[in-house]
Amino acid sequence: MQVVLEDVGYAYGDLPVLEGVGFAVAEGETAVLIGPSGCGKSTLLNLIGGLLPQQTGRISTLGTPPAGCLNPLTFVFQDFALLPWRSVAGNVALALEHHRLGRAEQQARIAEVLKLCGLSDFADALPKQLSGGMRQRVGIARAIAVKPAVMLMDEPLSALDAQTRELLMEDLISIWARERTTTLYVTHNLNEAVRLADQVVVLSRRPGRIKRIVSIPVPVAERMKPEHAALVKNLHDELWSLIKAEAQVADREMQHA
Amino acid sequence: MLKRTLRLAALFALVLLMPGLAFAQPKEKVTISALPFISTAPIFIAKERGYFDAEGIDLDIKIFNAAQAVAVAVASGDADFGITAFTGGFFNLAGKGALKVIAAQSREEPGYNFVAYVASKKAYEAGFRSPKDFAGKSVAITTVGSSFHYNLGMLADKYNFKLDSVQMKPVQSIPNMMAALSGGQVDATILPANNALKLEEDGTGKIIGWVHEHTLWQLGALFASSKIVKEKRPLVERFVRAYQKGLADYAAAFLAKDSQGNRMIGEKALALMPALEKWVQPKPSIDTVKIAANYMDPQGRLLVKNIYDQVAWNQAQGMVDKSVKAEDFIDLSFVKGHFDVPKK
Amino acid sequence: MPEVAKNTVAFRGGGFVPGTRRWAPWLAFLVIIACWETASQLRWLPALFMPAPSEVVQALHALLVDGKLVAHIVASLKRIVSGWILGSLAGITLGFMMGIFVLARSVGLPIVSALFPIPKIALLPLFILWFGIGEPSKVATIALGVFFPTVVSAFSAVDNVPRNLIRMAQSFGLSTRMIVFKVILPGAMPGILAGFRISSSIALILVVAAEMIGADTGIGAFVLAAGNLMQIDQLIGGVVLLSLLGLGVSALLSIAEKIVLRWR
Repeated sequence: MQVVLEDVGYAYGDLPVLEGVGFAVAEGETAVLIGPSGCGKSTLLNLIGGLLPQQTGRISTLGTPPAGCLNPLTFVFQDFALLPWRSVAGNVALALEHHRLGRAEQQARIAEVLKLCGLSDFADALPKQLSGGMRQRVGIARAIAVKPAVMLMDEPLSALDAQTRELLMEDLISIWARERTTTLYVTHNLNEAVRLADQVVVLSRRPGRIKRIVSIPVPVAERMKPEHAALVKNLHDELWSLIKAEAQVADREMQHA
Repeated sequence: MLKRTLRLAALFALVLLMPGLAFAQPKEKVTISALPFISTAPIFIAKERGYFDAEGIDLDIKIFNAAQAVAVAVASGDADFGITAFTGGFFNLAGKGALKVIAAQSREEPGYNFVAYVASKKAYEAGFRSPKDFAGKSVAITTVGSSFHYNLGMLADKYNFKLDSVQMKPVQSIPNMMAALSGGQVDATILPANNALKLEEDGTGKIIGWVHEHTLWQLGALFASSKIVKEKRPLVERFVRAYQKGLADYAAAFLAKDSQGNRMIGEKALALMPALEKWVQPKPSIDTVKIAANYMDPQGRLLVKNIYDQVAWNQAQGMVDKSVKAEDFIDLSFVKGHFDVPKK
Repeated sequence: MPEVAKNTVAFRGGGFVPGTRRWAPWLAFLVIIACWETASQLRWLPALFMPAPSEVVQALHALLVDGKLVAHIVASLKRIVSGWILGSLAGITLGFMMGIFVLARSVGLPIVSALFPIPKIALLPLFILWFGIGEPSKVATIALGVFFPTVVSAFSAVDNVPRNLIRMAQSFGLSTRMIVFKVILPGAMPGILAGFRISSSIALILVVAAEMIGADTGIGAFVLAAGNLMQIDQLIGGVVLLSLLGLGVSALLSIAEKIVLRWR
């Protein structure tokens, strides 16, 4: 499924956070949204996922979801959003229970995604017993269990340490290779953008507007090969030069309580 | 100058006329705890008419709103005397040796309506007409161990029914008892005359008998702290004398009957009204006093045997400690001619 | 090489560690009771105002022997449990509605705030008129006393369920009803159980008031009668029973917390 944004704007009361945002993400592609803090990245994701009401412009999907899809627009959250009283398997089950799959299919789906995410041995563990990386794996397993058409990932790795981030990025890349879902991925980490994106959407400071859209010609799977090292380095520098000045300003800005 | 001489002379005359009273002995401060009811009237009358002053007693009346508190105040030393009804709690306190009964207060006396058995309208219509038929009925009382409870106990003994077969509903206060009867939540209750007549007037209750028609008993007493009885005997004697004068006035005003046996409330009663109006709550009228004025022995004589019986009954119910002995907390020496004194 | 002073680093991070000593409360109880008994035996405490613990135990024992103790406890427990369940169910329902629906909150909060501080004992005569002097008025007294604190604790427990969990559930397409039962209810359990601690104490406190009217059995009726009869040893015995009951309820709730809140 394709995601299309046309001239999208949003304001919290009198405070505009997004203005004239328009871009499209092709089926199976990953678009990474970056920008300084407070540029409306997460707001945009919530608008796309239908958790906020649209105000101006239009957000739409094109095409039909894949077979077996239970929840076309599916989130992965920064803080994992796991129910602390449910086990790993139970958290995955939450996304499935209301779809009347039948006990066998539900169990099969859970087992499948837990295996895919390396969680098979932790099915009965409670979230509090898991490391941050494992918790986010549960979040990802829950998302892919519903076979989403579009995954909306809101800084999914930013609560994790650098090493865990590396591991999870590799996991994500292999999952995308299998599932071919369309992905919108919000981050403030340029490394993640360079590693995971097919296109990087750079937003300006509040109110967020599109500053540049950078397409990366090398497929995600091949990006870490040595022959692309120079390209990756250049990309990183280019993106940094785009947001550095604004990041500085944003950093010095007083918080709106 | 002349004025001054006169004044001195008057003073001199006073000293001569009242030897040893006003000057040699300043008035003693004494406290009594009491309820603001007509049953305390002799004390109020004696106070207002100066009988205590005449005995060299400066009396301070502390008003409480529960019989229990009156007895506790004396036991704890907050008051020297107390006057109130007997209850299980009273006997338990008295049994601890803190207070002595010295004279009578109210009692049930033939011909003097005081406390009534009241049936609910429904129970009455269903045939509940006599206090002999309390078995199997539900009855609202104030509390376990109250005088109302004892009234039922005496009926049970006299008419041979089991007290256990009466469903006692303690509801804490007389207004609650009236509400429970009016609301049809109990078959019967036991109420002072004015409350009983009020229910009959409202048509929600029916008086089926008066306590004095069935059982005679000593309702309450004047008592003193054991300490003051032991250490200041003459003071207690003076106190009882003043109390008896109050009792005599009360009896003459409110208990007199004409040749047909009807109560006569006349001039003497009217003369006592200001004293009652000052102390009795809620403020009484001559009509309410006419109904509520209960019998008290004009000399403060006790039905001694009945007090022994009350203690025994309470003990049989498990409400009073077995160690309590009536003879230990009654001092018969302050009033002459008590009734039914058991032989030792 | 020049001599260099070498000192072992001293530990200075001791104390201020939260923790409990299991034996400490028992010892404290024992010491207090021992002092009390001794003071009574030596007649430092007047028997009229303060009976010895041994007398209290004797009074309770006598009651146990004639079978009334069990009758009192059973009668009171029936009232406490049914009143508490009624009040809790109603309180949790309203508290949830106030936590979930803006309208219910706007209407409910001021009403609850206005009615909460009314002393339930003052309403007793009213309850007699409404419910009679039988069991309903007693159960109602306890239920009403339990209701208001439960509303407040359920409301704030719902309010404290992390919003992101609710958004997560919405993002997976769960209906409002499913969100209430699968996310909000379990998420509010810690707050609700904490509220149970308060409301169960209130139920125990109110049983005495509830049994003021027309009760001849029950711990509250027993305590009241002992007070009226000036049987101080039985009065204190009844109070001890109530506090033992409180300890028992608290222990039960601790077990419930261990089971229900295993995930914490």
